[in-house]
Formats: sequence, structure tokens, C-alpha cells
Amino acid sequence: MGITTRRIVVLSLLGGFAVVMALLPIMGMPQTWMLYLIYFFVFLAAANMWNLLAGFSGLLALCPAAFIGLAGYTMTILTWLNIPFYVGILVGGVVAALFSILISGSVFRMKGVYFAIGTLVVPEILRLVFLRWRPVGGELSGGGAGYMVKGVSEVIMQETYWLGLAVAVASIILIGIILRSKFGLGLAAIRDNDTSAASSGIDVFRLKLYSFIIAAFVMGVAGAIFYSYQRYIEPNSAFNIRWLMIVLLATVIGGKGIEEGPFVGAIIVVILHFQLARYGEISLLIQGIILVVIMLAVPQGITGLIRDLRRSGSFRPG
Amino acid sequence: MALNNVSFELPSGAIMGLMGPNGAGKTTLVNVICGFYKPDSGTVKFQGRDITGIPPHKVCRLGIARTYQIPQPFGELTALQNVAVAGMYGRGVGKSAAESEALEVLKLTDLADKKDVPAKNLTTITLKRLEVARARATDPKLLLVDEPAAGLNETELPHMLEILAAIRQAGVTILLIEHVMQVMREAVDTIFVINEGTPIASGQPDEVMKDKRVIECYLGEYQ
Repeated sequence: MGITTRRIVVLSLLGGFAVVMALLPIMGMPQTWMLYLIYFFVFLAAANMWNLLAGFSGLLALCPAAFIGLAGYTMTILTWLNIPFYVGILVGGVVAALFSILISGSVFRMKGVYFAIGTLVVPEILRLVFLRWRPVGGELSGGGAGYMVKGVSEVIMQETYWLGLAVAVASIILIGIILRSKFGLGLAAIRDNDTSAASSGIDVFRLKLYSFIIAAFVMGVAGAIFYSYQRYIEPNSAFNIRWLMIVLLATVIGGKGIEEGPFVGAIIVVILHFQLARYGEISLLIQGIILVVIMLAVPQGITGLIRDLRRSGSFRPG
Repeated sequence: MALNNVSFELPSGAIMGLMGPNGAGKTTLVNVICGFYKPDSGTVKFQGRDITGIPPHKVCRLGIARTYQIPQPFGELTALQNVAVAGMYGRGVGKSAAESEALEVLKLTDLADKKDVPAKNLTTITLKRLEVARARATDPKLLLVDEPAAGLNETELPHMLEILAAIRQAGVTILLIEHVMQVMREAVDTIFVINEGTPIASGQPDEVMKDKRVIECYLGEYQ
């Protein structure tokens, strides 16, 4: 198959997927299925962006919860200022992107594992800030720092579903474009060797920053959509390490650095999420064990494994 | 202090050898020129312009490319992508133009048959040529080649020197860092020798090879 034919096939598959998914709620899909799919869309969009950072740019950013939580809070607070939630979702993405610029100066001073640790503390700092800060005099519930999303009780579930679908499909297209662009090749060069990237004329800091901003924006939008469905946000959920676990598992199980990886991974993570829910706090431990086992047994992930098997089976050149 | 009072001029179009024993500061000098290290004092001038302290990617875009003594490829990228990405960013050309130009550079460096192989699967000897190819793709006016001969055998070495000669033919000024005497004798116009960060000799290869201080620093002092 030539590259053009292949591209047409992939694009029509994606288009078909989007159309079928968009029509499902109208054709009377059960509510539970709609719930699963909303989770899937949000996880997929966030995992795609984490794959952009960790898989394609070499940035092991452990702060997705910062972008997701900040955007969620932005959207929620804006509803208390009578701004429609769909506007708030976009503004949330912008706030997450601005925040990524703000922290880039300090976290990009660190490389590799130090960068990872440096970013890991960011959501925790935000969690502590939001536990003490009351941005608007809105309705607090349970005496904590939580907020209801005002006015979305009228919002039907379908709307969040479609928004989630839109951001998931957009994230797939975005990754597809980036990977085939000059920008994507520059990122891959930085990931493989940042010293020779610099001496080949690549502005390492700037390219990493662009990748960071894009990921923060899309993760933020996905997170804000999630909280508009949830209708309630509080610091311990918004800045929870579970967000990191979700994107990490989805990317690693699916295949880090592989375009289709997060799609496969996100399906499994949604199943895990609902299956493990009954175990409460232990579920995080179980997820951790699964992650370690996958990394040891199939470090290339499911899509990577399939690719390797196909290659060795049919002698198809790489 | 790694370098002290090192001062030299490299005329446009020339090919000069930078020589010195291990630890003399040759690679440090390259890193200073390319903007990886900032000197405490002194200036680096390129085509009359002060480029001291300019970051590496800008130095590259100004027309100074380098290779690494130990190859530093982009491992997951193919040979073609390794070279094309340098063309895209080093010269600012578009993706498809950079890819077709990269193919030409791969032919020049005898790597065309490896174009679709990921760099991590190439041998060290092939990677040495890929280093040169990647640097060439940025279309430099000055090329700093750090020990191209290290690790090459008797048939591979002349091949490498041919490639460098072809690049020079195209009008590129070359600073060749090397301590294999044979390479120096065959390939360069003039030699500049440093030891322990200070210059000790310069001139025609034959003169320099006879210089007492050069012999001393390579072979040790006569007792």
C-alpha cells in the first residue's frame, strides 16, 4: 500500500469512527455506555498528549493533573461568574497552557529524571493552594474547597459526550499532523539527542516549550470537559495523582511513542477504572503493579507488540 | 582552566588541522566555538562578527557545523531523517526540500543504501559518516570535524578523507581535529598544535612535525 492510499484508509476509518460515535446517543445508547465513552474520550485525549510529551518529545512530564485540574477549576469558577461552561472549557485550556509557560522556565532547567521529579510536585503544590483558596463566594459543599459547576444541571449528558468526542478526535488529528511535520521531526531529534539537536540548528528550549503548551492546552480542555460532566470539582480530585496514573497506564499499555498506542491503552484503562473502582484505595496499588508488569514484560506496549509480531511474521520491511 | 590564550585565525576556504595529545583541549575549543561553553575572556569571531556566547543552534544557523568524536545520532530516526532534520532546522528549508537534499548528502557520504535504517542499527563506522552527512546538510561555511579517523581502519580512513576533500571542494572551510599524524600530513594545509590548553606550534605540516615541542608533548621529554 502506498503512503497516500494508506492515509486515505486511515482517515476514512477515523471519520467513520467519529460519525458512528457521534450518532450513538441519538440511536438510544444506554446511559452507562455513554458514561464509559465519555471517560474513554477524555482519557484518550489526555493520553495522546502525554504520548506527545513522553513518547515523541522525550519530556517525562508527570504533571498532567496540574493542567487538568487548573482547567477544571477555571471552567467551574467561570460558571459562577455566569460564563457558559463551553466557553469555560476553552478558557480552561488557555489557562492550562499559560500555566505551562509559567512553569517551563524552571522545570526545563532540569533534564530526564530530574525533570520528571520537578514536574511531579507541581500538581501537589496546586492541590495545597486550592485547599486554602476560595476563588469565588460560591456554594461550597461539605465545608471543603469543592465547587459545584453552576447551572450545568440543565446540561444534558449528550452534550458532554459530543464535546468529549470532539476533543478526542481533535487530539488524534493533531498528533497525526505533528508527527508528519517538521516540528515533529525536530521533537524526535531532541528526544533522541538534545546536544546534537542543538548543534543541528534546533532551538531545543523553544520546541520543547511548544510541545508542552500544546499538551497542556488539550489536556486542560479534556479535563474541563470531564468536570463539566462530573458537575463538581474539589482539589483532592482535580490534582490527584490518579490523573497521572491514567495517562501513564494508557500510554504505556498501548505503546509509548506509537501513534495508535493511547487509543488501545485508553480502552483498557477505562475498563480497569470501572472494574477496580470497588477496591477503593487499593486500586491505585493494583494499577501500579499492572504498570510495572507491563513495563517489564512488554515494554513496547500492545501496539508495539503487534507491530513486532507482524514484522517478524511477514518480513515486511519497517 | 581548560584553555588559556589560545588564539588562531582560520582563513576562508582553508583546511586547518587542530592537533594535540589527549586532554589538550581540542574538543573544549570546538565547544567554545559552537556556543556550548562560554569563555571567561576572549572572543570568537566568524566572518568578522563576534559570535561569543551565542547559543549552539544559532551558531549552526550562522554557518558553523560540527561533528562529534563519539557519534551522537538521533537513534530512532532513519539515516535520511537524521540528515534531513539538520537541513530543515540548520538552513530553514521545508520538509520535502530537506528530504531530497538529504538524499544527495547521503550519496556524497556513501550512505544512500542505508537511508531507511534507524540510526541505532548502524555501525559506529557508518555513524562516523552520518555525523559528517548531518553536519554537511546544514550547508556550513565552516565545518569542525572532531576526530573523524578515530576507530576507522586503513581502508575506511582514506574514504573519510575523500569525503572531507569533496566537501572542501564545494568551498567549505574545515577545521580538522585529529591526532593521527597520517591524516594531518595528507589532508590539511596548516596545523595548529595545542597542549594543556595552550598553543605550542603552528605552520606547515612538515615543519610542525619536526618541532621539538610537538615531539616532546607526543613522545615525552628526552632525558
